[in-house]
Amino acid sequence: MIGTGIKRGTAELAVLSVLKDGPLHGYELARRIEQQTRGALRFTLASLYPLLYRMEKRGWVRGAWQTSGSGRRRRCYRLTSVGKEKLSPIREEWAELFRALRRLTKVSHA
Amino acid sequence: MPDWQELVRRQLAGLALEPRERNEVIEELAAHLDDAFEDLRGRGFTEEDAAERALCEVKDWHDLRCRIQTARRKENIMSNRVRQLWLPALLTLSISMGLLALIQLSGPWPLVVPSSGIPRMTPVATIYIPWLFSLPFVGALGALLSHRAGGSWRAVFSSIVFPVVPYLGLFLVLFPFALTFDRHAGRDIILSAFLIGLANWVLLPGAALLVGGLPVQFHLSRRPSSRCVATH
Repeated sequence: MIGTGIKRGTAELAVLSVLKDGPLHGYELARRIEQQTRGALRFTLASLYPLLYRMEKRGWVRGAWQTSGSGRRRRCYRLTSVGKEKLSPIREEWAELFRALRRLTKVSHA
Repeated sequence: MPDWQELVRRQLAGLALEPRERNEVIEELAAHLDDAFEDLRGRGFTEEDAAERALCEVKDWHDLRCRIQTARRKENIMSNRVRQLWLPALLTLSISMGLLALIQLSGPWPLVVPSSGIPRMTPVATIYIPWLFSLPFVGALGALLSHRAGGSWRAVFSSIVFPVVPYLGLFLVLFPFALTFDRHAGRDIILSAFLIGLANWVLLPGAALLVGGLPVQFHLSRRPSSRCVATH
């Protein structure tokens, strides 16, 4: 299980990576991240929305209300062009961090 | 099924946002709880258990309210432009003016060029050497603050050179004014005074500011940011 501090750091990367595949509303986004990380990353309502609002303020994602066929209103988030530009350097930063940690702990691939 | 909107509205009472924005937040969070509840019901949980588990999504409503307020209001209180440009720019201007005033009051004496044998009415340059040597640090500070606030290259550059902007403005206003209205001095004298003043108060200090500011900006823009780890 991954610790809380690292999880916080990976949150933006996780949201950007999942939204790259298409717009999602909050609950779908949290479920998708949980599924794709096999439960290693799990967003609750309390952790997800402050993050999404912060990213929206920065212009990385944009939320828009949509009404489904059943009449339910959901706020769907999509990646903006700024968010798309941010994804690549953040990925690289994390890859570099993991490479550095691997070197530090002398853990090699099996 | 619980009335999620009512529940969220009650728990987030006092959420200091505009009414429309507050209602949107409440509706969105209620929709999330509703989705969680329906999901759990679909997996065979009783209505009571599903509601209880859905509510486990939030352990501390007070903390959530604070974090939502911070996330949604922070940028309104201090806009990007203020953080990225005006704050660093005004700080560098204040520091550079303060240092100049301090040096003028307490010394050392400025270098006057040319120092002797000058005919009457010849403009001279008064150069405050210690001030010029302090400016790279001021420029570096401007670059650091603007970059850390996420400023663009233009914002960072403006923050670095902002201390010389008032002088530039002054010269651009005074020079045409003097040319037009000063009947006592010849045009060649006014022109040479303008060029000396421009070099002394704009070009030299501007270069000194850039000497400190640009390397900082280059260094920070090439270094991978640690914001992902540091924030939250």
